[in-house]
Amino acid sequence: MTPAGSLLIATSLHKTYGHTPALDSADFSIHPGEVVAVMGPSGSGKSTLLHCLAGIVKPDSGSVHYNGRELTAMSDAERSGLRRGEFGFVFQFGQLVPELSCVENVALPLRLNGTKRKEAETRAAAWMERLEVADVAHKRPGEVSGGQGQRVAVARSLVTAPRVLFADEPTGALDSLNGERVMELLTEAARESRTAVVLVTHEARVAAYSDREVVVRDGKARDMAGAR
Amino acid sequence: MSGQDAPAEEPRSRVSVARWAADLAMGGRFAVTGGRESWARTIMTAVGVGLGVALLLLASSVPTMYQQRNERGDARSSFTPSGEVKPGADTLRLANAGTTFRDQDITGEVMAPDGDGTPPVPPGIDRIPAAGEMWVSPALKKLLDSDEGKLLRDRFPYRTIGVIGDSGLSGPSDLAYYAGVSQKAFGHVNSSYHIDHWGLADKKGANEPLDPALLLLIIVGCVVLLLPVLIFIATAARFGGERRDRRLAALRLVGADIHMTRRIAAGESLFGSLLGLAVGAGLFLLAREIIGSIQVWGISFFTSDIVPSALLALVIAAAVPASAVMVTLIALRGIAIEPLGVVRNAKPKRRRLWWRLLLPLLGLALLLPLAGGFGTGSSGGNMKAYQAAAGAVLLLIGITALLPWVVEAVVERFGGRGSVPWQLATRRLQLSSGTASRAVSGITVAVAGAIALQMLFASVGAQNTEDTGQDPNRAQLIANVPVNDGDQARDAFARYRATKGVRDLLGVTEDYISDVRPSKDDPTSVPEEAITVADCPTLREVVRITSCKNGDVFLVDSSSYYGEEPGFAKPGARVNFAYRDDGTPDLRKKKLWTIPQSATKVKPRPDPTGSERTGIFATPGAFDIADLPDPGAAAMIRLDPKVPDGVEYVRNTSAALSPAMDVMRLSSTSQSDEFQVIRKALFIGATATLLLIGASMIVTTLEQLRERKRLLSVLVAFGTRRTTLSWSVLWQTAVPVVLGLALSIAGGLALGVMLLKMVGQPLAVDWAGLGTMTGVGGGVILLVTLVSLPPLWRMMRPEGLRTE
Repeated sequence: MTPAGSLLIATSLHKTYGHTPALDSADFSIHPGEVVAVMGPSGSGKSTLLHCLAGIVKPDSGSVHYNGRELTAMSDAERSGLRRGEFGFVFQFGQLVPELSCVENVALPLRLNGTKRKEAETRAAAWMERLEVADVAHKRPGEVSGGQGQRVAVARSLVTAPRVLFADEPTGALDSLNGERVMELLTEAARESRTAVVLVTHEARVAAYSDREVVVRDGKARDMAGAR
Repeated sequence: MSGQDAPAEEPRSRVSVARWAADLAMGGRFAVTGGRESWARTIMTAVGVGLGVALLLLASSVPTMYQQRNERGDARSSFTPSGEVKPGADTLRLANAGTTFRDQDITGEVMAPDGDGTPPVPPGIDRIPAAGEMWVSPALKKLLDSDEGKLLRDRFPYRTIGVIGDSGLSGPSDLAYYAGVSQKAFGHVNSSYHIDHWGLADKKGANEPLDPALLLLIIVGCVVLLLPVLIFIATAARFGGERRDRRLAALRLVGADIHMTRRIAAGESLFGSLLGLAVGAGLFLLAREIIGSIQVWGISFFTSDIVPSALLALVIAAAVPASAVMVTLIALRGIAIEPLGVVRNAKPKRRRLWWRLLLPLLGLALLLPLAGGFGTGSSGGNMKAYQAAAGAVLLLIGITALLPWVVEAVVERFGGRGSVPWQLATRRLQLSSGTASRAVSGITVAVAGAIALQMLFASVGAQNTEDTGQDPNRAQLIANVPVNDGDQARDAFARYRATKGVRDLLGVTEDYISDVRPSKDDPTSVPEEAITVADCPTLREVVRITSCKNGDVFLVDSSSYYGEEPGFAKPGARVNFAYRDDGTPDLRKKKLWTIPQSATKVKPRPDPTGSERTGIFATPGAFDIADLPDPGAAAMIRLDPKVPDGVEYVRNTSAALSPAMDVMRLSSTSQSDEFQVIRKALFIGATATLLLIGASMIVTTLEQLRERKRLLSVLVAFGTRRTTLSWSVLWQTAVPVVLGLALSIAGGLALGVMLLKMVGQPLAVDWAGLGTMTGVGGGVILLVTLVSLPPLWRMMRPEGLRTE
């Protein structure tokens, strides 16, 4: 797959934490509706790549273009706005606000964008229904199982209809059965809404849900196009 | 306590002392060997507990400080309640020669031995100063040697022969002196007396018991100041608790049972609090040195006086570690430490209201019987004091205990409505209102107590602030000049008029005259009347007259004002102004004067000091003051406001006229010194307490934020604005604070009403004081929020995600 027509393109990304290089001339691209698995051993730099692509972290050098706009040139407020409106996120754990109910958690990104509470919660409820967690809508994260919590997080990441969804080890804390169900629901919903998914994982069975794999090793990203 | 999570619990009966000790010791080891994080937690706890302990030690030193000051004060007292001492070979003649310099009181006495024997030497000096010599306190010496004291030096025409030792002073900043004068000099002194010893023989007679209202003020003040300190110590024992719980989960994984983990946690807290005791002792020693070198509002203490009462120090040493352990164990009740992590009870148990209500009700029940009866009669005085203290403590603790329930009950009613920050804040409070309530509870007690004290202050202050009747607009100073004859009075007035800073002077010379014959009703007594001689402008200040010229005489008949028989001083009446040495009219060697027929009857006018005079008022042309046998002269002085230190120049003139004379400053109201000292002390204490609470809240808030670092990073990852989370922190603090303040206003008013009833004062709410205290409480919260914003923003960096 070539960068032509890509929604998000990263070129020659360099990022160092202290004296440890995390990314070393990494390239990446993704098309709308595509699911790309970023794989690699622990500490290889895959999470850093995701953070740079999402505008969470600024690379030391290199560029990230999203829909024709240079992310690295944007201010913090602009990047935050982009993350609020066009990106979605799922992490391994610790991502739901413990004091809010599940439906309030799902509605949170909409509310941060200014959507009225009722409307936000109606849309959130619809996504929860779709991800099979409608029954825990009014429970707090501490009262639901890990699998349910992760599905709530997926619902939250998709509720704003993002153009790119960043998922960092989304099934890392789940058993295989729950993990597979979460992946099924996540990829199905993303493909339906033509949301691009950057999926960081080190598990082959999770990567199996992707259209393409990129392997990160020693900070360098290698496209495994055609592997699937 | 839930037992659902103890897979292999040890039967409690088999838990030996050795096991306890081993677990506590292990906890202690964790407190120091767990790396930077453990040290940080231990140091935080130690500093927090240390601050509290230092304050407690200072508070427990107050009785000793008070006692030592009093004992030295008693030892140098020349007050002789038992009766007058006749002059003898071993007696000392004394006159009070205290003065004031730029609002600083200087105590002093002029003295001369009555005979050739061994007169008593005051404490702190080696010998009686000879005429022209003086002993000065170190602080007065410093002042006299300084540029600031240049003006004061003129007031002490004595040679300094030494410095008064500590045993002769109340505190290091006392301004005091003992000066030697000749016996002749006492002729120019208003009042002198003789002593044969220094110190109070009968202390009971001199140390009057404290006014009940003031006693109540002190009791409640101590409760209000110390309760937040105890709450602070309890809060400090929980510092870093969440991180510690995660560490304990790791211990569970390697086989520790739930009781062991709790004992280990208690051991960690115990170590922190023991270290806190050491830190507190160190801070106390430091504070002791600082207090010994400073003076606040005229009060100073010798470092050696600041010694905690042994019993109280022992109680502190035992209670602080014990309470730290107890607080830890209580905090762990709602938490299940599992091998795979810490599970906080998702739905905390609903707080019970009954025992929370019971505390303030019990407090009120203890205070109610004292309504109107506190301090009446001497019996049961101590019991009543204890009862009042217990009642106030229970009421204030009750408010603290009620706060979590009120916060929970109120926030539960908040729906999901409102902005995102509001929702985040209220939902957080719904999940865990205890942390927020704990942080606020210290402020609540302080504000409630302060409101009650303000009410009592306002009332006691009004009671202690007396209307003097003086009119400082007509004259600012009054000097009663000891004179032997009218010429001296004229001379004194002239010297005052010539003094720098004096704009005008009203000088009156007074004496007595008598009837020419004994009383008809009592032949042994002779009726007397006062005679006041002054010029017309001055007479206008003391009697109501429309016209006056030199040579006029006016009469104010005391009988029409005091309901006595008509006086003998009438126009045309002959009066006698011959007096014997003992001050009685001499009818054998009469000196006669006829009151002019033209003398007019007038009404008196309160003079600038508020006194009304009666009798004969004569201008110098009508009566020569040189004829007065034993006159007194009063100079009412108007100062030129443009001349700085005018008062000091007048005081210097007074000192030159008489070694023991001071001038009185006129003021429309006066407050008792005792009341002012207590008010100042409570204000200092309240400020220190509020600062301590503020420090505790900052630590707690920062800790909460650190615990949520990861979540904050996730929220930032999906684009949450800084302002959203900042407002959420503010709301999260503001909601419990507003509720806390509302509760403290209610509790404070209730306590205030009770206290006023106890001292039998009418109910009056000091709204300004209430507003100030509420404002101060709110201000501390705002400060805490502002201080916590920079770290919040720092933690809102997406780099926090890297920990994953």
